[in-house]
Amino acid sequence: MENFVFSSRAKTITGGAALIGLVCLIASYFVDGGEGHHMRFWTNLLHNTVFFLGIAFIAAFAYSAFTTAYAGWFVQFKRVWESFSLFLLPGLFLMGVIIVGLWLHSHHLYHWNDEAAVMDDPILTHKSSFLNKYWYTFGTIVFVGVWYFFVSRMRQLSLAEDTDGDSSYSHHKKIKVYAAIFLPIAGFTSAAMIWQWIMSIDSHWYSTMFAWYASASLFVAMTALTIMILIYLKSRGYYKGITAEHFHDLGKYLFAISIFWTYLWFSQYMLIWYGNVGEETIYFRQRLDSYPVLFWGNLLLNFVLPFFILMRNDTKRKFGTLFFASALVFFGHWFDYFQMIKPGARLTLVEMEAHHGDDHHGEEEHSMTLDAPAEHSTMSMTPQQGDHGEEGHGEEAHGEEMHAGEAHADDHADKAHHDDHGTEMTGHMEAAVEHGEGHGDGHGDDHSALGFKSGYTLPGLLEIGTFLGFLGGFLFFVFSRLSAAPLEPKKDPYMEESLHHHT
Amino acid sequence: MADTQTTDAGRNILFGLYDDEEKLLDAVKAANADHLDIDEVYTPFPVHGLDPLLGLEESRLHQAGFVFGTIGCLFGFGFMTWVFTRDWPIIFGGKPYWSVPAFIPITFELTVLFASVGMVLVFYTICGLAPWAETRRLHDRITDDKFCIAFDATDLDNGAVDKLRDYFSKTGAESVHNKMVAA
Repeated sequence: MENFVFSSRAKTITGGAALIGLVCLIASYFVDGGEGHHMRFWTNLLHNTVFFLGIAFIAAFAYSAFTTAYAGWFVQFKRVWESFSLFLLPGLFLMGVIIVGLWLHSHHLYHWNDEAAVMDDPILTHKSSFLNKYWYTFGTIVFVGVWYFFVSRMRQLSLAEDTDGDSSYSHHKKIKVYAAIFLPIAGFTSAAMIWQWIMSIDSHWYSTMFAWYASASLFVAMTALTIMILIYLKSRGYYKGITAEHFHDLGKYLFAISIFWTYLWFSQYMLIWYGNVGEETIYFRQRLDSYPVLFWGNLLLNFVLPFFILMRNDTKRKFGTLFFASALVFFGHWFDYFQMIKPGARLTLVEMEAHHGDDHHGEEEHSMTLDAPAEHSTMSMTPQQGDHGEEGHGEEAHGEEMHAGEAHADDHADKAHHDDHGTEMTGHMEAAVEHGEGHGDGHGDDHSALGFKSGYTLPGLLEIGTFLGFLGGFLFFVFSRLSAAPLEPKKDPYMEESLHHHT
Repeated sequence: MADTQTTDAGRNILFGLYDDEEKLLDAVKAANADHLDIDEVYTPFPVHGLDPLLGLEESRLHQAGFVFGTIGCLFGFGFMTWVFTRDWPIIFGGKPYWSVPAFIPITFELTVLFASVGMVLVFYTICGLAPWAETRRLHDRITDDKFCIAFDATDLDNGAVDKLRDYFSKTGAESVHNKMVAA
């Protein structure tokens, strides 16, 4: 089949979007300048870089998993996933900017990168063998580099198969070997990197579900983007062999992985709710209190809407509804990453401001800001549910809880942490006790319910612009890669199967 | 042949067996092109692309599934709400009585249970299946490895039957049989 022609009109649109995004990104550097740390700029850069780098990674993962599993149905459009996965290289360069910023301390995305803070904080000290700039730099460069190596080798073999593929399918067999080796490496290294890149923004917090959760999110986003690009390419007259059957299968993936994402979202929430450990509940406590639109909007966009839209058979077979649902969840999972990154980064910002005010006190402050609401949260995660009016259980409304919580802080820390965690948490407990004392001078109350702040509480125009810019840049890259090779592989052993796909 | 005459005993079914689903699909297409009135097609497993060729409507079984699932969801959640807030409230681990997150896994399970069991029952009812139901199979190997196209030859004259036999041999049927079945 013929190559994709990257028309000048498409170039203008995607390139123009990328430029607008760049302008928005630069603007966010100056808009936030007054606060010193340019947090809005750095979080936007990290958010979009990780999101699109992750889509490239998951495309490579899906490609390898399907190839290893003898799948044939996707082979017609495998060049699309190859093009996606090649974006790992630009993604690595963008991560390089974050790494340089990490070494020069030009951003404060990660609390663990503040040496003074780490020294005073037993939890961060404990984690410092993994959460440090050496690991971050090493992991990012080496792991993403290794992924890119596999991706580019598979791409080369796939292109070589077109010209000199033989009847023993030696190219395909080599791709399968690369794919099978890539899968376990990708599984472990991606989990480690998502902990570093995203989870460590809330540097006291941890969740064993996080890597699954974050990659399920990326899987949905990748599938949605694939569907939208294929519908676009079909509308331009390419990919005649891709029928409603292929879209039906992609739609099923979109539906199924959305449910899988919800399963992980709920499991993470329920385990933390049930366990009721302060360092863990704080994560959701904050999001429920200060970011209700992010918290519930995330579920609405990524579970409720796709669940009801994609449940029917025919919505997965019609381009209109499928495109609509894809656009919805694609934005939804970008929104999900926003929700993972921004509240934690904002909390770090709040701590940094306190740090500037009074050096000594500030150090107390940062260890307590994360801990302090945790003390509340061990209790108040329940009253939040209790708001639905049960009598006699007798929990105060949330506002009162804050004040009551201060008085209880010491006891509660004793009970909650000493018993559950033994000596390991003693340091943390002391930090909480300090917090109880520190309250005399009126700090701390304001951390629990943060007010509206554009770019943190909700994506502002600059965030949307940056998102569209990255999307434009990503599409520009993908389309230029697509135009560089025939859209359909010529001698892939599964090509015939893909042409006769029925669901 | 004598057995093509109308009898009170039932219907006279003329059927051909094929050994491959691709041959079956081609045969059904040929029958549609010749305007032959297929009575029924029997296959040992679901054959992709057969339904539209036979002009079958999309099954509405999944709508029953949705209804049963909704009932299961509301029942599970409502039952737990009633038990833990009205009937027998117990505090677990300091959580409130109405602990929604703890109810969700069970609600989910009951949704799936009601939807699946409900769909099975509806399916059995539609198909007239029950443990005591009489099994009417045209040929034993239809449930094994043969694909069958059946015509109702009760009211057909000899010329029409010969036309069907021609059709079977043209489309590669392995064997052609006659069988009387209850009406």
